Formats: sequence, structure tokens, C-alpha cells
Amino acid sequence: MSEFVDECRREWHRLGVADPIANEMAADLTADLEEAEAEGGSPEDVLGNSAFDPRRFAAAWATSRGVVGTPTTCCLPHWRKHVVVATIACVGALALLAGLVLVSGRSSRSVGIARQFFAGQFPNRSLRLGMPRMVFPSPSNLPFIRVQIASANVFHPLAWILLIVGMVGIVCFACAVLCWSRWFRSPRLSRRHHESSNAR
Amino acid sequence: MRNKIADGTMRCMGQLEGRRSQLLRGVLDLCLLAVMGDGPAYGYEMTKRLRARGLSIVGEGSIYPVLGRLERDQLVETKRVAGNGGPPRKYYNLSVEGQRALENGVNEWKSARDAVDGALGLGEVEVRP
Repeated sequence: MSEFVDECRREWHRLGVADPIANEMAADLTADLEEAEAEGGSPEDVLGNSAFDPRRFAAAWATSRGVVGTPTTCCLPHWRKHVVVATIACVGALALLAGLVLVSGRSSRSVGIARQFFAGQFPNRSLRLGMPRMVFPSPSNLPFIRVQIASANVFHPLAWILLIVGMVGIVCFACAVLCWSRWFRSPRLSRRHHESSNAR
Repeated sequence: MRNKIADGTMRCMGQLEGRRSQLLRGVLDLCLLAVMGDGPAYGYEMTKRLRARGLSIVGEGSIYPVLGRLERDQLVETKRVAGNGGPPRKYYNLSVEGQRALENGVNEWKSARDAVDGALGLGEVEVRP
């Protein structure tokens, strides 16, 4: 019982409900639950199905009373949260891809990246990425820019950028997975799970 | 086969329960205002009064959010009264606006109920001997 009230308190705190109001609601709830228990009843007798979802119950009560203040944490609408996480995941995946390009680029012998047009823009320039040099074959007599992967140990700035982007991608991806897993354990969804298991 | 019938029965019961819950949600505020007509009451006391009138299922949620809305809309007046040896309780009582809202709500309920009865053919059943 006290766990239920404690959970409600945490939710009210998160929603920015003023302490005196939260204390008042908690005291009323506690008194009612204790009275029901003393009469041999259960929390469901007082709260209905809300007894299984304290956070939802607390939020509904505070909202209906109009005592919700400024939430202490981000409270984007549910679908926006998913959009944000999906965006982060996509960025992370792209960054990971960039990292993979870096790795595969180092192991491959050469990379062709442009046609004669670009070669004209950058005559006699080549990118050195740290592996032995090899020239890409040029189909139909249109020579490509040669990307030389030199044997030097020093990375090209592009490689550093790709490496950093790849690491950022790993972090973004991990954060996205973490956020998603937390939201899937949110009361709303756990309540749905409870209802579906009840229906079964 | 037996399992399928059992599943269908359970599903049907679930739908009925859901409908009952939705119907109740639409008039729970009226019911609370009505039981407050018996005198000021705190939260759980109102639940017991509802149960005594045959409304044993509080339904999807509970009465507290509804009480909160009634309080915000000033349809009820509240005061904190010290209990007999227990903690002080918050008592809810009908305000003037609440009384008016109850009367309007009862009229709306009657007209809606009559319309639904007519649609379901229940009105004709009553007329028949």
C-alpha cells in the first residue's frame, strides 16, 4: 500500500505538483486505503483497475485537479518521443555506417570516388589514408581520381572524422536503445500488457 | 472446439465489461454528485455509498480523478475534518453549481436513456402487456 502511495508521490513530484498539494492527496489516499484494508477490502475496492498503475492514476488525479506544474523531466508527447529516438537511431546507424566505411576502406586497396570532371578540379591530388597505394581502373577511358591509401601510419583528417562520427554513432545508438527499452517498460505499456494478460 | 467457445465467451464478457466501464465513466460524476446529496463524504465513503446503491464496479479508473475535476470546476466544496482518532479527512459536499449540474445531468441522462431504450426497442417492450 505504501509502495503505491510512494509511487504516486514520485509521479506528482515529477509532474511538478506542489508539495503541500501532493502531501494532501497522499494523506487522503493513505487514509482511504487503510480504511479499506481495515474493513478487509483490497486496494482495488478503492481504486479499481488503477490499483495496478500508480503512475497513471497519480497523473490522472493531478491533471484533473489542475495542479500539474512544470514537469521536472522532459515530457514530450509519446509519439514525439518515438520520433526523437528513431531520429537518433537513424543518425547513429548512419554514423556507424561511416565507421564501417572507414574500417573497410582501410582494408580495401582502393576507392574510386569521382570522374574526370572532379579530377580536373583537383589535378594531381590524391587522398592518403594510410594503406599501400593502388590505382582504381578507369572504365571507358574516364580516369577516376586516385585515392591512394598510403602506407604511412598517420590517418588522413577524413579518417579521423569518420572515426569520431562512428564513435558518436555508437553512443547515439546505445542511448536510443536505452531510451526505447525504458519506454517499453513504462506504466502505460505495462498496463496494456496487464490488460492483455487479463483478457487471455 | 470447447476452447474456442470458452475464448469467445471470455471475449464477449470482456467487451461487455468494457462497455459497462465506458458507460459508467460517462456518468460517474453524476453518480458522485448524487451520493453527495446524502451529505458530505470523503473519497472512500463515496465508494461505499455507490456500492450500497448497487454500483460496485468503480471501473477503469477510480473516483479520485473525477472528484478532482468536480473540485476544479467548483461543483463541490471541500473541507478537512479531523477523524475519530484517525487522520483528518477531506470531505466533499455539493455546491450550488454542483446541485444545478446534478439536476441538468439527471435530465440529460433520462433523455439519453429514453433515446437508447427506443433505439433498442425496449420502450415497446414496456408498453406491451
